[in-house]
Amino acid sequence: MSQGIMGRIRDEVSQAWTVAVKDIKVYYLKPGMIMFGLLMPFFMFFSFSVKREMAAAQGVARLLALTTFFTAASTGPFIIPLERRLGTYDRLLAAPMSLLSLLLGKIAVGAFFAIGVSVVALVVGVGIFGATVVSPGFLVVGIILGSFSFSTLGLIFGSIPTRNPGDVQMPSTLLRWGLLFISGVFVPLAEMGAVARALAYVSPLTYAQDLMNHAVLNAGMLNPWLDLIVLLLGCGVFLIPSLLMHRRSRRLGY
Amino acid sequence: MTNAIEVQNLTKYYGDLLAVDHVDFDVEQGEVFGFLGPNGAGKTTTQRMLTTLLEPTEGRIRILDHDLAHDPIPVKRKMGLVPEESNVYTELTAWENLMFTARLYLVEPGERGPRARDLLETFGLWEKRDVKVEDFSKGMRRRLSIAMAIIHHPTLLFLDEPTPGLDAQSTRTIRSLIRELNAKGVTIFLTTHQIEEANQLCDRVAIINHGQIAAIDTPEQLKAAFRKVQSVEVALEPDGQAHGERLKALPGVTHSVKMGDKWRLYTERPSGLLPELLEYARARDLEVVSLNTLGPSLEDVFLEITGQEIGAVRHETEESQGRRPGARRKKGGRR
Repeated sequence: MSQGIMGRIRDEVSQAWTVAVKDIKVYYLKPGMIMFGLLMPFFMFFSFSVKREMAAAQGVARLLALTTFFTAASTGPFIIPLERRLGTYDRLLAAPMSLLSLLLGKIAVGAFFAIGVSVVALVVGVGIFGATVVSPGFLVVGIILGSFSFSTLGLIFGSIPTRNPGDVQMPSTLLRWGLLFISGVFVPLAEMGAVARALAYVSPLTYAQDLMNHAVLNAGMLNPWLDLIVLLLGCGVFLIPSLLMHRRSRRLGY
Repeated sequence: MTNAIEVQNLTKYYGDLLAVDHVDFDVEQGEVFGFLGPNGAGKTTTQRMLTTLLEPTEGRIRILDHDLAHDPIPVKRKMGLVPEESNVYTELTAWENLMFTARLYLVEPGERGPRARDLLETFGLWEKRDVKVEDFSKGMRRRLSIAMAIIHHPTLLFLDEPTPGLDAQSTRTIRSLIRELNAKGVTIFLTTHQIEEANQLCDRVAIINHGQIAAIDTPEQLKAAFRKVQSVEVALEPDGQAHGERLKALPGVTHSVKMGDKWRLYTERPSGLLPELLEYARARDLEVVSLNTLGPSLEDVFLEITGQEIGAVRHETEESQGRRPGARRKKGGRR
């Protein structure tokens, strides 16, 4: 056991990593994760892309935004209520680590899952459909930041004080689908009206899609650095409601 | 002797429902402290507050010289928790479960393997170390859950209902382990319905009822304070079981309970009841197969304090195996 502030930080990082590795082993192959995290973004993609005229690169940009978003945001609402129901979440809450470290570990689980699925999507897009990547730097940073940001967004729903995953799936699915249709994924920002575009700017997915457009199509509408900053801010801002709801859960006894 | 746990004015409300009502008690270092109470009395709520899982509405908890509200991490490092349900990861093997816990509690890398092996051997799980826990029996999961709670060598161990529903061998193993850990200096906080278990294991017990501590003392002192629940147990033949109402009417008998083929007659003066019983049997030409005078058991004390009927404890224990304690109480939280 380490001493001092640096030692404490090292301990907390190690514990967060331990939680993440455990979750990866336990949950990555669960049907709920495969359904919502792996199959759903591909279903969505094919539903809105098949039989429509679209360049391979455009399809890859859309698919990457979808996979980072859907896959990353699916883990928190699935894992935490399940662990609460099974009693295993108490094991984590009783462990000698801060709540922040525990939540960071949970965020990493969703982010790693999304990064992995996005890499598969990218390999398929480039290797099979011949898409090219214009800006690999933006692509890599965009996938990583988007995955962490959306995983943190999903954690908000996982933090709702309940032991029933069903109570969480409904609102989290509604939000994810809602964001999907206002964020320039299926209707490009340039084709939106003023009101719809104003709404789109509220959605973090808009910035991930725009960044993917920059990286793959070299055709984003917003400044790519703005996209990166918004995704980075999302990682911090989305964490706040999760922390507050966990404190509320501790008062209520969940 | 210094205190491992100091609780002052501990209170928990769930909305308007008062679950724990301004409770005060101390647990000395190195003792086995039993926490008894009927369903919904506030046992689990109290234990969850002591283990940082639930925030008190009011009051102060000091554990191992740390204020739990302001300095929980050092306490958590020295604390082990075995909840009522064996919350092990069924998708992992026994070995993986132990390794995960060891890493989470920052056990030195070189120590993890030997400690895990030692615990698995102690609990008879070494041969099953690479088997996924989903294939384990309830008793095996319970043993693994306890092993996970002590792999970091805690100085304070919380056990919530450690043995109900287990086979005799698992129960004996767990009770032996509690004694061994306590002999090594580990303070044990045992929440239980099993009154005889508390009687056998605990240095002191607290009885909580309706969210308040109704009594707190050593088992023997508690029994001594309840001499009025002394009893005489008698078996008569032939057809001894038909005499319950008439036996209950004997002078000095406060109430009677059928115990198998015997009747237990509660009285404040067993010595006065014995001649009455013998005369009753002689007058009806009955044979006295057995006759014993009994002091109050801890169960009698518990029932007297909590106002429950004789036999209710056993019934509750059976019920609780299929239900979380207090689950009926409120949708907003756990009791």
